[in-house]
Amino acid sequence: MVASAIPVTTDASRWRLARATVLLLLVGALAVTTLLSLRIGALGLSTSDTVAALFQYDPDSYEQTVVRSLRLPRTLIGLGAGAALAVSGAVMQAATRNPLAGPSILGVSSGASFAVVSAIYFLGISTPSGYVWFAFVGAAAASLLVYGIASAGRGGATPVKLALSGVIVSALLASWSTALLLLDQETLDRARFWSAGSLAGRPLDIFWTVSPFLVLGLAGALLMSRQLNVMSMGEDTAKALGLHTGRVRLVSALLVVMMTGAAVAAAGPIGFVGLAVPHIVRVVSGPDYRWVLAYCLVVGPTLLLGADIMGRLVVRPAELQVGIITAFCGAPFLIVIARRRRVAGL
Amino acid sequence: MSAASEARAHPPLRTVRAGGVSFRLNLRTLGLVGLAAAALFALAAWSLTLGSFPIPLEGVLRAVLGRGSEDHEFIVRTLRLPRLLSALMVGAALAMSGAIFQGLVRNPLVSPDIIGINQGATLVAVFWIVTGQGRTTLAPVAFAGAVAAALAVYLLSWRGGVAPNRLVLVGIGLNAALAAGTTYLLVRFPIEQVGAAVAWSAGSVYASTWSDVTTLGAALAILTPAAMVLMWHLRILQFGDDTATSLGLPVEATRLTLVLVGCGFSAIAVGLAGPIGFVALMVPHVARMLAGAMTASVLVLTALLGAIMLLASDVVGQYFLPVTLPVGVITAVVGAPYFLFLLYRSNVRL
Amino acid sequence: MTATLPAPASEPPPDTLHALDDLDVLSRLSARGLTLAYDGPEIVHDLSVDLPDGQITTIIGPNGCGKSTLLRALGRLLRPRRGAALLDGEAVHRQPTKEVARRLGLLPQGAAAPDAITVEDLVRRGRYPHQAMFSPPTDRDRIAIDRAITLARVDDLRDRSVDELSGGQRQRAWIAMTLAQETPILLLDEPTTYLDIAHQQEVLDLVQRLNRNEGKTVAMVLHDVNEAARVSDHVVAMRDGRIVAQGTPAEVVRPEILARVFGIATEVVAHPRTGAPICVPLGAPALPEGNPGAEAASMLPRPCRLCAVDATLAYDRCVVAERLSVEVPDGAITAIVGPNACGKSTLLRALARLLKPSAGGSFLDGEPLHRARRRALAQCLGLLPQAPVAPVDVTVADLVAGGRTPHQRWYRQWSAEDERAVEAALATTHTADLRHRTTDALSGGQRQRAFLGMALARQTPIMLLDEPTTFLDIAHQVEVLDLVRALNRDEGRTVVMVLHDLSQACRYADHLVVMHQGRVVATGSPREVVTPALVRDVFGVEAAVVTDARTGRPLVLPYSLEDLRGVGRG
Repeated sequence: MVASAIPVTTDASRWRLARATVLLLLVGALAVTTLLSLRIGALGLSTSDTVAALFQYDPDSYEQTVVRSLRLPRTLIGLGAGAALAVSGAVMQAATRNPLAGPSILGVSSGASFAVVSAIYFLGISTPSGYVWFAFVGAAAASLLVYGIASAGRGGATPVKLALSGVIVSALLASWSTALLLLDQETLDRARFWSAGSLAGRPLDIFWTVSPFLVLGLAGALLMSRQLNVMSMGEDTAKALGLHTGRVRLVSALLVVMMTGAAVAAAGPIGFVGLAVPHIVRVVSGPDYRWVLAYCLVVGPTLLLGADIMGRLVVRPAELQVGIITAFCGAPFLIVIARRRRVAGL
Repeated sequence: MSAASEARAHPPLRTVRAGGVSFRLNLRTLGLVGLAAAALFALAAWSLTLGSFPIPLEGVLRAVLGRGSEDHEFIVRTLRLPRLLSALMVGAALAMSGAIFQGLVRNPLVSPDIIGINQGATLVAVFWIVTGQGRTTLAPVAFAGAVAAALAVYLLSWRGGVAPNRLVLVGIGLNAALAAGTTYLLVRFPIEQVGAAVAWSAGSVYASTWSDVTTLGAALAILTPAAMVLMWHLRILQFGDDTATSLGLPVEATRLTLVLVGCGFSAIAVGLAGPIGFVALMVPHVARMLAGAMTASVLVLTALLGAIMLLASDVVGQYFLPVTLPVGVITAVVGAPYFLFLLYRSNVRL
Repeated sequence: MTATLPAPASEPPPDTLHALDDLDVLSRLSARGLTLAYDGPEIVHDLSVDLPDGQITTIIGPNGCGKSTLLRALGRLLRPRRGAALLDGEAVHRQPTKEVARRLGLLPQGAAAPDAITVEDLVRRGRYPHQAMFSPPTDRDRIAIDRAITLARVDDLRDRSVDELSGGQRQRAWIAMTLAQETPILLLDEPTTYLDIAHQQEVLDLVQRLNRNEGKTVAMVLHDVNEAARVSDHVVAMRDGRIVAQGTPAEVVRPEILARVFGIATEVVAHPRTGAPICVPLGAPALPEGNPGAEAASMLPRPCRLCAVDATLAYDRCVVAERLSVEVPDGAITAIVGPNACGKSTLLRALARLLKPSAGGSFLDGEPLHRARRRALAQCLGLLPQAPVAPVDVTVADLVAGGRTPHQRWYRQWSAEDERAVEAALATTHTADLRHRTTDALSGGQRQRAFLGMALARQTPIMLLDEPTTFLDIAHQVEVLDLVRALNRDEGRTVVMVLHDLSQACRYADHLVVMHQGRVVATGSPREVVTPALVRDVFGVEAAVVTDARTGRPLVLPYSLEDLRGVGRG
């Protein structure tokens, strides 16, 4: 299915040019989506207002204040989270050689959820800025636990063991979260909005808090692309080519934790972007991870912002959380993959 | 461990033949079934004595038999017994459902909870609760949701036959979509209804009545013998489609029947008790570790162990924690460490 | 069953085993006191070996003798428990991994490429060990990639996606990837497995060219003794994790050594064209000379129960064979042979009712298979699929008992007759003492025997076997085929099997069906059918066809033009 999309007989340089052109077009699409994300919402704005708010901010203008204080943080977080989730999904799929891998395989979302629920229940924290560090630490701790369990025992962190321990740690943490939610309705009331995954209502300083992790993680992942290329040829071949496969897998896991931890901390658990975007871009980019990661970096935020815009439009004047939209749109996509591909194993 | 594997290596088999009927019985498995049944009985009897109004064991037995004092009979027969029996049967149904799906897909991670059946029930039930519909119709509605989800998974993964791996992937996808729907309902409606919905979706046998017990009992009475017979066919199916076809097995029909029975177990349990995770995932592994490859008698063992696990979790959640928690929260807490231990030992047979 | 020669003496005769010190060769890669194991018991024990520079060394031995494990240790994929693999005098696992990868290229068994990667991209990844962390590709990289592609002769496939190549092309692309590493030493783990004879030759020709023209030192593991003898300068024969013999092919490929290595009786003849030693397994009991019965029988008109008439076979809409007509002579052994993807397995599937012909049909006793009752058919037609699967926790006894299913009902699970049939099948296949082992604890040969037992326990008059000898080493192949012959001769069962080894087919079959590109190109007894011209046309290789004096059956001895170039040299 993937093969058919690739011009088989054209010469390599033309192919490379085509890939670069498409990438440029996608960057354009991202710019348009970003602008739309700043404009569209309960209060419709003109492009000129929007641009003015960014470059000649007039604090007295109500419209411009909306852009600066609501739309801008939301858009920035969407950009960061979308890029982080998509890139980390691609990294996980390469490192585990499993097409079904995504950031959620490391238990990131459930770890973050549990930490946030605990923070609400035990400490009474109730603002998105207050959740950030808890979510981040929860995500990191859960993924370290998953990785630790998978690499203990014989054979190290094999992809299957990673998947198994990820599923189980997630289930355990989810049941603890449920227990806390059942004990206290107020906790439930606050946590349910957070755990739906949303870009709305986050102040700008959340973005600044998580951005170092985003930048570090994304830069690290892009620099790793050649190693990931070798890694995707299988454990033995990669080793024979002189790659430290264990080290690459560990570094990948750390980068993924940084990126998704930051994304979850800022936006709450958002499913499917990490799983689906790498599959979508591979149709155009081919299997070379230097291109796959570059494409993910552009397509991930476009889709996440697109989903967020859709969430603002479908139940106007109310809003639908972006996490719900991505799962709704991502699920049919997974089903289509499952029906089209020859799925050898899970 | 060594004694167990030794005994498994040389199974004490006895053959029973009478006329055209013949069976081969593994005495060790039968012994384990006996042990599990005894343990289950003891646990059940003890659990009936527990509660805010403790009743001695003797009193419990009398009350069950209808010869106790009036208040004992009321407490035991009207309050505790339905809950006990529901827990037993829900546990057994979930465990058998897991055994069927794991055998069908030959993947240790597969259970009805991850392929959308539970989520189907949850979505519909949560809708029912948050929109304030009657509680009496909740169970049938949840059951319908589970069946609809199972049907959708089956149809969506049909492409001239149902490849088990495709079934799982499609199931995971559908599961996510349904979960998103549930999340939407949970953030959309006022917190009072949402609280009740979350409580339901944690899974519990708290409100069981005698009519639930009758429904469960009737379903199990039909499905369990069917599942035991199907184990015979499942064994052949596991040799691969080519071999199975050549051995004269109608492969797709058998697979459809197995999926139907597996979904039946799961749907009836979820309909009455809410989505209880982990039992279906974990118990078949335990049974196979104890007794070897899945056969009809190992299936019985699976059912008994499932009943024990659910009952034990319910007792723990109800009486042994500072706060009362529904059984669905406890099963994962009991099950997860065991699974992680398995993983650490890394003898999980994939 | 097999006439096993006496077990190998612990002390090999001095003329076959060079003491290491006597070897007057230069060797950059060697092993000293190597003891290897995965998690379980030791697989290779205290082994020392030198791989002579500039030569092709081949490691042979039965399944599970540790030959691939040895290669993995030499290539730094496996850390030795004791001892060391030495590269330029220093232990490989103490050297930096990239440094090793610049001197030693390794192609693991069954390497899998990512989806849709092009040949050029694949080869480019072989440059990894030469690239610094963040540097862009240099001119040297480009030159090395071009050169590797030219050497492996995959120029015309450069922009093709690897998953659409044929087996031989794909293997050459992978070797090109290894060549891009520009290492003086190449290690290849079973580079010819899964390939048919023409593609095997394609790959081995490439290996020979690399050795002769580029001076590469090559060490590889091969399955097939004759291929090893044909292409290599130095042969290392292993058994049970130890070296039994090493030396030139002529020194190692000798009946007494092969008996010690594989435990079977063989005869060694010289190839009429190249002079390379060729081992011919005798099997046991050896066919009586002349064996008039079986050989003559196929010429007589035989009754035929199973046949395909004008059958068109297709998967989805991809037509594999059109208007195929084949008759299976009753009571004889029929072998279907042909190159990969010629439709031979598809034909067998049609005869087994696994595939419904889209036109025409397959018939049993004149009745279309698809109208027959499942159960009745299952009692008549037995099948051993190509890659049978079983759940890991099923024991051999349960597996064999599974074959009784067509005779059973869920309420009649274990009749006295079932018990007798299963016991007989276990005894015939020599799996009785494995009966309580689970299938994941079996070697390849044991596993295949267990599945054969399953097919036997069905007690069907007709047995269809799809490549029953793949995955097996030579000793197990002979064992399985001898068993098949015994079933035919002693119990009169009709056997149809797909084989990819033409020599084996000639040795065991009464009736050959030769297929090529979805058509049947020849049928008849091996003597009538097999000629050098047929082998060239159908399999695309040159071969000498001689008559085996013992059996009166043809022996097919393939060779390649590269061999002839090498004859003068050696």
